[in-house]
Amino acid sequence: MTNHFENLSVNPNELPGLEEIDFKPIDPNYLKVSLISSTLFFILLIGGAIAVLELGDIEEKLNGYIISMSSIVVLAAINITITILGFKKKQYALRQRDIIYTKGLIWSMRTTVPFNRIQHAELKQGPIERIYKINSLKLFTAGGQSSDLVIPGLPDKEALSMKDFVLKKTEEDGTERS
Amino acid sequence: MVQNDHDFSIPTRQPSVAIGIILIKFVRMTVRAIWPLLLSFFIGRRAGSTFEDVVGYLVLGFAAFNLIGSILTYFRFYYYIKDNAIVLDKGVLKKTRTNIPFERIQTINFSQNLLHRLFNVVSVEIDSAGANKSEISIDALSKEEAIALREYIMAEKEQIINEIGTEEEKEISADKSPSELLLHLTPFDLLKVGVSQNHLRSMGIIFAFVFTTINELTNDIGDFLSDQFTQFESYAVHNTLFAFLFSAVLVIIISFLFSLGNSVLKYYDLKLWMGKNGLKLVRGLLNREEVTINKNKVQMVSWSTNPIRKFFKMYTLQIAQASSTEVNAQKSKINVPGSYKKQISRVINMVFPSEYLGTEVKHSISSAVKQRIVLFYGILPSLVSLSLWFLIEEAAFYFLLILPLSVFLGRAYYKKRSYEINEELIRSNSGIVGTENVLTQIHKIQAVKVKQSWYQRRKQLATIELYTAAGEMSIPFITLNEALQLENFILYRIETDKREWM
Repeated sequence: MTNHFENLSVNPNELPGLEEIDFKPIDPNYLKVSLISSTLFFILLIGGAIAVLELGDIEEKLNGYIISMSSIVVLAAINITITILGFKKKQYALRQRDIIYTKGLIWSMRTTVPFNRIQHAELKQGPIERIYKINSLKLFTAGGQSSDLVIPGLPDKEALSMKDFVLKKTEEDGTERS
Repeated sequence: MVQNDHDFSIPTRQPSVAIGIILIKFVRMTVRAIWPLLLSFFIGRRAGSTFEDVVGYLVLGFAAFNLIGSILTYFRFYYYIKDNAIVLDKGVLKKTRTNIPFERIQTINFSQNLLHRLFNVVSVEIDSAGANKSEISIDALSKEEAIALREYIMAEKEQIINEIGTEEEKEISADKSPSELLLHLTPFDLLKVGVSQNHLRSMGIIFAFVFTTINELTNDIGDFLSDQFTQFESYAVHNTLFAFLFSAVLVIIISFLFSLGNSVLKYYDLKLWMGKNGLKLVRGLLNREEVTINKNKVQMVSWSTNPIRKFFKMYTLQIAQASSTEVNAQKSKINVPGSYKKQISRVINMVFPSEYLGTEVKHSISSAVKQRIVLFYGILPSLVSLSLWFLIEEAAFYFLLILPLSVFLGRAYYKKRSYEINEELIRSNSGIVGTENVLTQIHKIQAVKVKQSWYQRRKQLATIELYTAAGEMSIPFITLNEALQLENFILYRIETDKREWM
């Protein structure tokens, strides 16, 4: 790789790059959880559409059913395909001084938060996630909502130890400073 | 050393004029929340239907609620100083006690609206370091008492820090060098600022206001418009061009006056002082507001200009401070329009280490961005308008004008978009008709994001986003290799830098 930035004291190519990191996939149960919640969402949507068609006075009911149901089915198919294919892209890695999370099938995205910039950490578990015993780890920074890191699909034990690890690291890197 | 005729240790209420000020604050809040209801009350009163009666009672109820609420708030509010901390007792239904120790108080700001100025009182805002609920305010204090309170707290704070504080803190508090008036907006400069405002935005605001108001007044905006148009139809048919020109000129004049008036209200007699540890800003005609900017809390400095303002050689300086709460995010950005190049460089030199402020290589972005802009802002909209041919017929041709416009847009955007980086700082430059430059210190970045769309992945391009505690900076369409190097270097700098970011 050529160095684009000759004015810097360190050559960015000599820093540990992303090639050597081994990214860990998140728990496969998370895929089940997301599929269940999108199924629930589409069931509600179908119910809503039926209610509107039956209760409202629409003249051509059959047409209404064909249009609404086919569009819901198409949407559901797209949603499920993206969920399944995109699941593989959800990966995380813990490095010595930062934490990385990647996601996105069409628009891919990789967020990195250094431990010494984490303000606090939080575990979250929704009702469906509780059944499958998985958690989301939320890491808050001062950079505002869009820079907060959320890693979903962590099994209970792993999530807890990861949160402790991150908090310990945050404290270490923070006290080093003064 | 502070001569003190005020005893701050006794719980004290605010001066009685505070009732009025609280009342006005309450009324404002209510009106903002229910103004459509109020409007329909005043418009529809003539109709005299039962619905209007209900609305009337509601409005009366709100008025009474406000009055009682503000009186109770006033009587329940006490402030005092105890054990080197300022304490506020308040709350009508739920009593709360807020306690801020002196050493955590960062700045004490005063602001005045018209009523405050009439009675010579100020509202006091105490800003402290710390995660949540870091700001407390007192609605009204006599000016003299407020100044005494500020001096007392600051003197006590200095003493505490001298006893137990670190070297750095001592250095900061020991600084008594008088601040220097860096910028004073003269009436002539204010006029220039007003003339060079973004009048298109004012036009947008006026249109939005007119349409929402009409929408509230008449439930069916379509009916209203067609009523209006049929009245003028016969006239307009013969005078279309005249009518069009007349209304266009009218809209332009109104927008111009609106933004001019807005700037005068907001930036009248703006003064910016520079001390060793930060900046102090006072501005406003009716609402006189005062903002203190702590040097260490500054995360980003940006300066922008538009063609008219550039003609006056003026820039808008924006200083973004780290804010402890999301709610204050907007308030933490301080705009100083009508700054000249010299003043901006003085501010930047104070906030950022000056040895790194030399000129650096400008890295441009990939020219692929031009095609993307033409595609998304030119080709796709024209295809949509052409597909509407059966509806709007020849009018579709007018929409094709967007095609050359998007070509211009893409070229201008590409030409001005660049970034510069060195050991300490990163700067992004952008603009289409105007220019905008943003500068931040690398170690103040909180998180780094590298994004790729499907198209960018095919072309080996990426967008990098940098988040600071007071806003974000994004560099789009650079090569993937470049983005990875930037990401690596920035992370390395954040992780090895031992300095505080705030």
